[in-house]
Amino acid sequence: MKSLSLYVERDSFIHRVDPITKLFYIFAAIIVPFVMKDLTVSIVCAAVSLILLAVGKVLRNAITVFACLFLIMITIFLIQALANINNATVVFSISGIHFYAEGMINGVKIIMRMTDMVAAFLILILTTKPSDLVEDLIRAGFSPRIGYVIMSIFQIVPHMAGAIDVITDAQRARGVETKGSLPVRIKAFLPLLGPVVLNSFMNTKERAMALEVRAFDAKNKKSFLNEAVNFRHAMAYRVLFVLLAVSAVAWRAGGVLL
Amino acid sequence: MKKVIVENLKYRYPAMKQLALDEISFEVEEGEKIGVIGRNSSGKSTLCQALVGLTPHFYKGTYGGRVIVDGLEIKHATVSEAALKVGIVFQNPFTQVTGAKLTVYEEVAFGLENMGLSRAEMIEKVDRALHLLNIYPFRNQNPFSLSGGQMQRMAIAGIIAMRPSIIVLDEPTSQLDPQGTEEVFSAMDELSAEGMTVVIVEHKMEKVAQYCDKILVMKDGKRAAFDTPAKVFSRDDLSELGVCAPVYTNICKALGKKEGAYYPVTLAGAARVLGARR
Repeated sequence: MKSLSLYVERDSFIHRVDPITKLFYIFAAIIVPFVMKDLTVSIVCAAVSLILLAVGKVLRNAITVFACLFLIMITIFLIQALANINNATVVFSISGIHFYAEGMINGVKIIMRMTDMVAAFLILILTTKPSDLVEDLIRAGFSPRIGYVIMSIFQIVPHMAGAIDVITDAQRARGVETKGSLPVRIKAFLPLLGPVVLNSFMNTKERAMALEVRAFDAKNKKSFLNEAVNFRHAMAYRVLFVLLAVSAVAWRAGGVLL
Repeated sequence: MKKVIVENLKYRYPAMKQLALDEISFEVEEGEKIGVIGRNSSGKSTLCQALVGLTPHFYKGTYGGRVIVDGLEIKHATVSEAALKVGIVFQNPFTQVTGAKLTVYEEVAFGLENMGLSRAEMIEKVDRALHLLNIYPFRNQNPFSLSGGQMQRMAIAGIIAMRPSIIVLDEPTSQLDPQGTEEVFSAMDELSAEGMTVVIVEHKMEKVAQYCDKILVMKDGKRAAFDTPAKVFSRDDLSELGVCAPVYTNICKALGKKEGAYYPVTLAGAARVLGARR
């Protein structure tokens, strides 16, 4: 069965880092370039995140995600290069359309921040099992109910997609046309909604009962079958990431005050 | 020692006029296996839900009488509290998969995690449940990748691992092949020998007759009979109760061959009275 999880099984240093430390990294990777607003910092942050993806042996998997974002990045770059409010210095022109240095620099800065942010999240998503992440969060005091919801999305949504296929086949067997032009597909989609939604409601009720009878609401402290990911230098890295973020904010605040 | 006491149990679903359970009373001793049989909509599943507290805590409605399992009065306990004493396996294996675990092993351990057991205890109980239900080879598979029968056995393992003193199974073998059905009943037999009390709703009469100590026959929400398989299946009014006797009993009935005062209900019993030799 397909899962929504993008986790890639590899043996790497990044895979051995605990999920909470990766969350701290995401925090720092977002705060630092956004607060410092410097092109070099943005490039360095993006480069670090990409290097970490490479260390985690998941750069190739990340490229697929970046390919999806490529169009958005190009659009941002063109809009900035052509229409940034601070545009003054023309670098080159094509058919009378001027490309400005200020906008292009700002476009690259935004793209680098996006790259850094997406890569930082991908470090977490591609190198961490969703169950490890959720279990670590619950260990840290996160609600088990919310944890359950997050985890079940990874499994139950793809299964619902499978149920849609089954219902589609059943309707096709009764003569409903489900393939063809867009209007035909839309017409076929509407009768699907009733059975899928009703089926989901019924399954949800039964699953809620099944959770209850497995003591999901028991008041005692929960335990875990899987041991927590034991990353030796977790605390040092977390402190480092917080310090980086705080220093960036302090540097910016100092700059503004001066 | 009485593990289940049901006294004058009445229940009506919200917005329904007819009682789903009407003055049901019976008692079950520790380690007994009780088969619950009857027509569809006779109240079997509602009774199962009442034994674990889903009725009246999950399904609201009008409730009367008492259900006491292992000393706990269900009406005054939450479903999660009751779950520590009595487990239930439903008919549909798909909806019993939590959806929050990525492997069969983790799925079976889900209830134990909620109970707060240590990792070592969990591993011991999960291993035992997986071996008992013969699904240990699938332990690393995704729960949703299993077949209906394997999924049902995983659901049973998930409850058995919690080691409740009573287990209620609502048509657990409806999606199982004959071998899977036999494995489930043998597992129940083994657990019962260890003192676990079993209440099982089942339509496969041969299995009920072979494995259960007593049979509760339900009709229109009422208790129509509660006795040993031989006494129940020897009755003349079975068709009025919506129940078929095992095929061995029917053969012996047709030939008028009794074993003592009652007709045999198992293959071994039928072979004895018919004088079959191996």
